[in-house]
Amino acid sequence: MGGRGGGGGRKARNFATFRLFPRAGAADPNDRVFVRVDNNDYTVPGFADEDSFDPSLSDPSAGDGNFHSASGPLPEHVRREILELGLPDDGYNYLSHLRELRPAAASSFVPSSTARPEPLPLDVKAYDASRVRVGPSDGELDEGKTMCKVAAKTAPVRRIEKAVDPDVVRLLDESDVSHVGSEDEGLEEDFVIIANRAEGEELEEEDREEMEEWNGVLSDVEEEFDFEEDEPKPRVRRLLDEQFDLLALEEYGDSDDDDRVVKDGEYELPSEAIDELKLFQSQNVCVDEEYRTPADFVRQKVDSSTTDEVDESARVIKKCAEYAERYLNETAEEEVVVLVSESSDESEVWDCETIVSTFSNLDNHPGKIETPGIPRKRLPRVFPGETTTTNDIIKLHGKEKLPVEYLPQRRRNGEKEKKVKPVEASVTDKFKKGAEKETKEEKKARKAAVKEEKKEARKAKKELKGLYKSETQKAQKVAAVTGPSSIRLM
Amino acid sequence: MAAADVAYAPPMKSGKAGFEAGLMDPQHRIRITLSSRSVKNLEKVCGDLVKGAKGKDLKIKGPIRMPTKVLHITTRKSPCGEGTNTWDRFEMRIHKRVIDLISTPDVVKQITSITIEPGVEVEVTISDP
Repeated sequence: MGGRGGGGGRKARNFATFRLFPRAGAADPNDRVFVRVDNNDYTVPGFADEDSFDPSLSDPSAGDGNFHSASGPLPEHVRREILELGLPDDGYNYLSHLRELRPAAASSFVPSSTARPEPLPLDVKAYDASRVRVGPSDGELDEGKTMCKVAAKTAPVRRIEKAVDPDVVRLLDESDVSHVGSEDEGLEEDFVIIANRAEGEELEEEDREEMEEWNGVLSDVEEEFDFEEDEPKPRVRRLLDEQFDLLALEEYGDSDDDDRVVKDGEYELPSEAIDELKLFQSQNVCVDEEYRTPADFVRQKVDSSTTDEVDESARVIKKCAEYAERYLNETAEEEVVVLVSESSDESEVWDCETIVSTFSNLDNHPGKIETPGIPRKRLPRVFPGETTTTNDIIKLHGKEKLPVEYLPQRRRNGEKEKKVKPVEASVTDKFKKGAEKETKEEKKARKAAVKEEKKEARKAKKELKGLYKSETQKAQKVAAVTGPSSIRLM
Repeated sequence: MAAADVAYAPPMKSGKAGFEAGLMDPQHRIRITLSSRSVKNLEKVCGDLVKGAKGKDLKIKGPIRMPTKVLHITTRKSPCGEGTNTWDRFEMRIHKRVIDLISTPDVVKQITSITIEPGVEVEVTISDP
């Protein structure tokens, strides 16, 4: 393109660039179209394909040339296709949104011809009985014969295909498309539907119907109730009823009911009940206010005492006496001698701690129970067996608070040295930090120094621990004698 | 772009398709740029295009081979930072060929649709002659 020379804007961009792209939704990856990739105004009318539906060059209809789908009516075949798909015919080319299935891609669904339907579950056995002839009933149903017939024609089947009833299929399809509003109807039972539907109709009719239904249900119960009102005892009387009646009589027995009950001697009481009741009736229990003992009856202190009562009382008294005698005799004869051996008490003195803790005096060192008052020192200041200089004040130094005077002499020098060194080192370090940042070597040196210190400290601690073990043993001995037993030093 | 004037066909406005003056409808200067990562396919496509164009007696300027662009990616082999610092050096080579023609767009369309090779990208630039 002939340049414009100096000073000027851009060169005249009268060219068009197209690139080959595979067509969107095309099955064949080699099916490519030219797509414009620049924004210039230059137009090349015959080049780029804008109709995605019918692009192939060899197609004679390509002679129609480019047409913009946006303007003008769509070609007939396009419109037909759109309509076939069920899309509206409004001048828009919906086919551009369609996507072809690629056989290469996995999106196409082809129902497999070799598909095996699901095998039967283990607890089900299926038989193919399509060949069994179920003829008109022969009159006599010889089970054996029919069994044979059936067995001969059936064959076991290992897999069954899911049978889809055409009616069911139809219903399913229907439910998808048409029954949008009446979803509820499918879920509810008939009577509910009827009831709901009837509400729209005359309500009174509905009510009446319901009432009739209910009446039918309740009729039996009503009959019972009616019976009850007329006759008080429609059902068979039981023992319990009779007993209840008797009891009711006794409790609330008054003029009217008394006669009736007494007259009706036709109740069939079991014999035991009768006997008991008779006994009960025969014993005239006096409901006096005073309490009477059998002795009273015997001694005839009660005025209104019958011979029976007196005899009874006498008998009771006699029996009581017999029982008492027997009891006494038994105890006298069969005396069990229980020997309780007591241990020699005087020698052993048990304290409560021993008994409670169930340890012997070897473990427990019984002492006086004291109130936990002032916390006392565990160790006595001066061990009785030691030959040490008795100082009033024990100085503790260092991190571990070790008593200085107790240490052997050689240790002291070492400690003093230690104290001097870290002090110096720390001072110098701080000074350095103020001046400049630590270099790697200095950092390493510092860390090494710290490590060394820790190492020495560890060693010292170990030595001291060993040294002091003997001390703790001695202290334990002393504490065992003097201090309370709860102290454990080792 | 080197001006390749066709002496006997005066330049036509591209909008008027079907206007014939001497030769076929308006001739354009067409530049086909082929780029690919594999040389074999690219050379094959180039050869086919050239053959096709020559078969149609078009003025063609043979495949101009552009310098291959090599794209490098150098990464650490290790997914973590541990270990000897080994590096991977990956590269992608892109080859580019340019073919210049003077013809009508339709012919070019035909030619380019026939030769089909995967992995080769075709770009066509049409300009006034």
